[in-house]
Amino acid sequence: MWLLLLELRTPLITLVVTYSISVLGLVLIPGVTPDGLVYHLSFLDAFYLVSYTATTIGFGEIPHPFTPSQKLWMLFVMYSTVIAWLYSIGSVLAVLSDPAFRRLRSYQRSVSRIHGIKYPYWIVCGFGGAGSQLIRFLDQSGIRCVMIDSDVTRADAARLSDLSYELDILVGDVAEPQTLVDAGVQRALCRGVLALTDQDQVNLTVATNTRILAPRVPVYARSATDANTRNLRSFDTEVVIDPFRVAARSVTQLIRKPNAFALYHELVDPDLNQIDVVDIPTSGHWIICATGRIAETMVEAFVREQIPFCLVSSTAPESESDWFWVQGVGTEAQTLREARIHEAVGIVAGTNDDGDNLSILLTAQSENPKLVTVARRNKPTSEPVFGQGHFNFVLREGRIIAQEMYARITTPLLHQFLGQLEIMPEALVDGIIKKLHVRLGAERPELAHFDLTLDSDEAPGVLPFLHTAMAPKLGDLLVDPGLDHLSMPLICLLLIRLNGDLVPFPGDGLQLEEGDRLLLWGAMGAHHRLHFLVRREDLFETVLAARRQTTA
Amino acid sequence: MNTQRVWFAFFIVLALTLNFGFFVGDIDNPHHHNPYEFFFALVVSLIATVLKIGDRSHLGAVLLATSLVADLQLIAAAVIWGYATQVTGEVSVGVMASVVSLAGGAMLANVTSVVLLIAETIQLKR
Repeated sequence: MWLLLLELRTPLITLVVTYSISVLGLVLIPGVTPDGLVYHLSFLDAFYLVSYTATTIGFGEIPHPFTPSQKLWMLFVMYSTVIAWLYSIGSVLAVLSDPAFRRLRSYQRSVSRIHGIKYPYWIVCGFGGAGSQLIRFLDQSGIRCVMIDSDVTRADAARLSDLSYELDILVGDVAEPQTLVDAGVQRALCRGVLALTDQDQVNLTVATNTRILAPRVPVYARSATDANTRNLRSFDTEVVIDPFRVAARSVTQLIRKPNAFALYHELVDPDLNQIDVVDIPTSGHWIICATGRIAETMVEAFVREQIPFCLVSSTAPESESDWFWVQGVGTEAQTLREARIHEAVGIVAGTNDDGDNLSILLTAQSENPKLVTVARRNKPTSEPVFGQGHFNFVLREGRIIAQEMYARITTPLLHQFLGQLEIMPEALVDGIIKKLHVRLGAERPELAHFDLTLDSDEAPGVLPFLHTAMAPKLGDLLVDPGLDHLSMPLICLLLIRLNGDLVPFPGDGLQLEEGDRLLLWGAMGAHHRLHFLVRREDLFETVLAARRQTTA
Repeated sequence: MNTQRVWFAFFIVLALTLNFGFFVGDIDNPHHHNPYEFFFALVVSLIATVLKIGDRSHLGAVLLATSLVADLQLIAAAVIWGYATQVTGEVSVGVMASVVSLAGGAMLANVTSVVLLIAETIQLKR
C-alpha cells in the first residue's frame, strides 16, 4: 500500500496544483450577470466547476454564461485539469497492473494467510515431482502443507492442484532465510520443513537455515550424493533421503523379497491399494542398463545382496571388479545379446533418458519375452507411456521420495514397522499376506492402514476390561461388532507396548495392555467398525462374552 | 544540498505560516480573515501531506499523521464556511468563530509538524 502511494506522489501533487490554480483563476476573474452586474464566482462554485470539468462530465457554464475572459481561462482549466486527472488515474492503474507490484501484493497476501493458519502444517520447498506427489499424499491423510517454489509456472501448477484445502503458495527463493520465515517456519504450528528441490546445495541451505531459525523444527531433505548426505547428517538433519539409494534398495528388494516389496509399496503409497506380488525366478542373472550414480548404487546393492548381474554402461566402471560389464547403452539388440539376455531373468532400464529406457525395454522384451522389467522414469511428463507399458516395476524418483517421506510423516508406527520389515524373513511376510487374504475371503477390496492407541481417548470401551478376568486379547478387537461376530478383514502389523517393546506381526492370542499402540492393515473402511467397537463398552463386553463362550 | 529536502521543508513551513496568517485577528470578525489565504493554506497543506507519504520510518508516520489532522481541520472549516455562504447565505459571528477555531486547531497540528521537522534536523549527524 505504501509503495502505491509513493509511486503516486507526483501525480497527486500535479492534481492538487492544477486544481488549485484553476479554482483560484475562476474565483479571481470577474463574471457578468445577465443584468450586467459584475460578480465573482465563490470558491464552492469554482471547485464544483473544476471538478466536473476535470472528470470530463461538463455540466456547462454556471451560474451565468461566461464572459470571454472567463472562457479563455476555462480553456486552460479544461486542458490542464483533464490531462492531470487522466495522468493520475493512469498512474494508479499502471501501478496496480505492474507485474512486480502484483507479485509483491500476492506474496504479502500469502504471507499474511500463512501466518493466520490455525492447523499444523509442513513446509514443502520445491513443487517438482516429489513435492507435488507428497502434498497430494499428505492431503489424503489430512495433513496440510505450505509450498515454496521460485518458479512462477510451477507455482501456477500448484495452484491448480486438486486438494481438499487451499494450498498456500509462496513464490520466492527457497534458499533465502527470509522466505522460510515468511513461510512460517518459526510458528509453533510448523511441524517440519521438507527440502525437496532437485539441487543438493539448495536443500542443504534450507536445512542449515531451518536449524538456526527454528531449531525444534525437523528437516527432511532430499540428497543425491553421499557427500551431501554426510554433510546434512553432520548437523542432525532428521531425515535424509537419497533417491538413488532408495531406488537401488527397492530393486534388490523386489528380486530377493517380492512379498516384502509388495507389502512395503502398498503401505507407503496411498495411491496403491492392492497388493500384487511379482513372481520372480530365483536363478539367472539381471541386466542393469545405467550410467552414473544410479549405476553405482545399483551395482553396490546387487553386490551386497549377491544377485548375479551384468552392467551395460557407456562408460567403464571406475573400480576393476569381478562382475561382468558390456559397453553400450542397451538400446541395440546386439549389446543386450552380449549381456546374455536370453539367459537373464530381468532387466533394469535406468538411463537418464526416458526414450532410451523405453527403447531398451522394448528391445529386451522382443529378445526375451519372459524378462522381468524394471523401468526408470525420469520426467513426470513421460508417465502415460510408462504407466501403460506393462512393466513389472517403474522407478519414479519423485514418487520414491514422496513415499519415503510420507511413511515417516503420517504415523511414526508405520516407519517403525518398515524398519522391522527390512530384517524380516520373507516366509513370515508371505504368511502375513496369505493370512490377510484368508480374512478378505474372495473379495479384493482396496487396502489401507491406520493406527490405534489403547487409551481413554481412542478406546474408552476397551480400557475397563484390561485388568479383569476377561483379559481381552488382540483377536477380540478384530471382530465385527455385528450380530455374527465374524472376524474383520484386518490384521495387526505391529504392536508397541507403552515401555517401547516392539511386537511385529503379533498373534491373535496376544494379551492387550493399556497404552498399546497398534498398526492395523486391511480392507479400507474396516477401521470405522473397529473404532465403533472400541468406543462402546457394552458392545465390547458382548463381543468378549460371546467369544469366551465359543472357546470354552 | 538535497532539492527534495528543500521542497519538503518549504511546504511544511509554508503550511504553518499561511495557517498562522489566516488565524491571527479577532476570532469572529470576517474582515480579519482572508478567504484567499485560507484557500492557499488548504492547498499547501494538501501538498505537504502528499510529500510526506511513503516515508515508512516512525517519524515519517507521525509527520504524515499531523498533516492528515491539519487537512481534516481545514476541510471541515472550508465546508462550514462554504455552507454558510452558499446555503444559508450569511456568515454569522458564530460561523466565523468555528471556522477560525478549526483553522487554529489545524495550526497546532502544523506546529507539531514543524517541531518534528526541526527535531529531526538537529539530530542529523554532520
